Amino acid sequence: MYQLSSVDKKFPGVHALKAIDFHIKRGEIVGLVGENGAGKSTLMKVIYGAYQPDGGQILIDGKPVHFANPRQAMKRGIGMVFQEQSLIPNLTVMENIFLGYEAQFTRLGVVNWKAMAAAARKQLAKVKLDIDPATVTSALSFAQRQLVELAKVLTLEERVEGDLVILLDEPTSVLSEDEVKLLFKLVRELTSRASFIFVSHRMDEVMELSDRIYVMKDGQVMDVVARAEADASAIQHKMVGRHVDREYYREQRQKPYDRSRKLFEMRDVVLPGRPHKLNLTLHPGEVLCLVGTEGSGREAILRTIYGMLAPLSGHFEMKGEALRGFNPRRSVAMGVGYVPRERKIEGIVAGMNVYENMTLSQLGRYSKAGVIDVGREKALARDWISKLSIKAHSEFADCGNLSGGNQQKVVLSKWRSGGSDIMLLDHPTRGLDIGAKEDVYDMIRDMSDDGTGIVLVADTLEEAIGLSHTIVVLKDGEIRQRFDCQPGAKPSLYDLLHHMI
Amino acid sequence: MTMQRIKPHLPWITLLVLTAVVGVVDPNFLRPANLLSLAGDIVPLFIMALGLTFAIYIGGIDLSVQSMANMITVIASIYLASLGAWVAVLCIAAGFGLGMLSGFLTTRLFVPSFISTLAVGGVCFSVAQWLSGNRALNMDAEQRNATFGWMIGHTGIVPNELFLAAALLALCLFIERRTVLGRVLKAVGAGEPAAKASGINVGRYKMLAFAISGALAAIAGLLFSVKLSGGAPTIANGFLLPAIVAVLVGGTPLTGGVGGVLNTLIGTLIVAVIRASMLYLGIEATQQQMLFGLVLIAAIALTIDRSKLRTVK
Repeated sequence: MYQLSSVDKKFPGVHALKAIDFHIKRGEIVGLVGENGAGKSTLMKVIYGAYQPDGGQILIDGKPVHFANPRQAMKRGIGMVFQEQSLIPNLTVMENIFLGYEAQFTRLGVVNWKAMAAAARKQLAKVKLDIDPATVTSALSFAQRQLVELAKVLTLEERVEGDLVILLDEPTSVLSEDEVKLLFKLVRELTSRASFIFVSHRMDEVMELSDRIYVMKDGQVMDVVARAEADASAIQHKMVGRHVDREYYREQRQKPYDRSRKLFEMRDVVLPGRPHKLNLTLHPGEVLCLVGTEGSGREAILRTIYGMLAPLSGHFEMKGEALRGFNPRRSVAMGVGYVPRERKIEGIVAGMNVYENMTLSQLGRYSKAGVIDVGREKALARDWISKLSIKAHSEFADCGNLSGGNQQKVVLSKWRSGGSDIMLLDHPTRGLDIGAKEDVYDMIRDMSDDGTGIVLVADTLEEAIGLSHTIVVLKDGEIRQRFDCQPGAKPSLYDLLHHMI
Repeated sequence: MTMQRIKPHLPWITLLVLTAVVGVVDPNFLRPANLLSLAGDIVPLFIMALGLTFAIYIGGIDLSVQSMANMITVIASIYLASLGAWVAVLCIAAGFGLGMLSGFLTTRLFVPSFISTLAVGGVCFSVAQWLSGNRALNMDAEQRNATFGWMIGHTGIVPNELFLAAALLALCLFIERRTVLGRVLKAVGAGEPAAKASGINVGRYKMLAFAISGALAAIAGLLFSVKLSGGAPTIANGFLLPAIVAVLVGGTPLTGGVGGVLNTLIGTLIVAVIRASMLYLGIEATQQQMLFGLVLIAAIALTIDRSKLRTVK
């Protein structure tokens, strides 16, 4: 009944969706899996009307439709339950449920709260949530809020003629096991009212709940698997795809690192909010990969090394010097470089050109008494533009207009030209297309060859395995396991997953 | 040609068109002597706008500049007799220090700049009232001429204020284009998180931006009091709106990051032409602020970078 027919979506530099065919039947639960950057979220945004496709058609009951915004999609019965919840915490449950649709309860602009409460109770009954609709939303537990969100979407049932399609974006990510079971039971019962599209990175859950599973990769639907024939490893294989061969991650270029010297060493370091003691060492030429689920504490470690977070206790030595004060200026001065996850926000300054971006972290080195030597800056930029073959018309190009891969190259040259030998890479390949990813892999190997130590939080597990010398698996802020990753003797996905979850 | 391409050139096109229009209505307007005296008259406003540019360039605002100038006219008038030429140092130091205070409130105590500078401006105004006893003060004409006469004389047909303005513009342009300070301020205006993630002590540079704004407002106040040979706590009222208009019309948007002091030069000239044209069109002085208010709204709406704003409150 709801169908996408060869839907295409392009962004500058990225072909996010390539001729996607998708359909969902009445009362069906469809799973959607794929790696980060496979196009899941873009596809969802097209479905609920936040993005308009560049090509192809959206069909409801065989008739083409066009949604200019999510509200229009809602009018045709498409609702979204957001991962980051969209409820406003200081409003009551019923106000949230009917936000934007209060007109049905108002007379001359005055709200009839009794009528709204009664209607809200009816919606809450659908999701079996027995709470007072006048409760302020912030007083609810996370799971309860999620149900309220679902109830809010289910109001479409009364408002819309035709069938409902409800998207659930990572609904289980912060629920306990019991809560997940309850949610799944509820969703199955609700199939009498609506069809569901279920997006999750937990393969077992997707397989348990879905009637059919769409496997996405690089903006394409690789396969559609029916529940009966679903097999976790086969799906994994399709998600990661074909030739995740050794060459892709430049494994042949992986060389042993220098174990005799240490770039930094953490001994029994305790970070705020986590009780566990952390022990980590980085050697020159080593790629140390931190692996774990979202919220497992990878970020906090990176932020500590970069000086944005001060440990509560323990011993932190950098280049033989025990650290006391923690701030980014000091870390930068000691040779730490940071490639942030949010490339466009923290990585580059859009509106500044290539050389201005490259020297931003090392202005002291390119100035005398506060006066900048622009000539040397430009020479530096030209040098690195050719070294990394950055696609920019010149050193005067606005970095905001470069493609993602070239922006990342600018960020990397910013640190490398400054002589940083401890590089923190937070999802360095996020949102890049394959060619640009391979460039980044090459640069990681180049840096290793130069004796730079790299702490990597990779975009995918495969990337982590392929690139690293050492993998540290984190769970709830604790180091669970260490793996030595010699080429040819790398741990498998399942070795890691086993310790992550 | 798209709007995006034309936008950076709008300020000087506007200036040329306005000048041509007024010139057609009254050819006398275009006489060099007239233009020069017009330019000389606008210098205090220009200096104020020059400083304000730094505050707006980083995406902030300095609403204290007018009260700062008011206070400085009072201080200059009172202490000229006892300090002589050193009064200039006192004035600039006061402006720099109070600007620093606004910057401290903004960067360390996280008070948004529009309110921290409004508060500091309130303090300045009150200091001016208190020091002056709420009266208009006069400078001793002879001493003024001896100490600061060079500021307001003429060299040939060129008013000396213009040399002062040119020197300050050159200094500011140098700071903006050639110094670490200028580079960091640009980075802060265009993308503060990236500047922070590059290990820059952003707060210190932001404070300096407000300090420069305060110092230049003080110089504007000093020049104004020398011109009028006196001071009063409300003497510079009516400067704030045109100064903000000058910066924004010049092409430095409230969101910061683009534009700069050269843009403010163009913006100030636009303000000067608008002012002059109002004389020709017979618009009373009391009505001028209405027009500036409207121009301000138009300038903000045209220049602001909406992609940087999530919500506006």
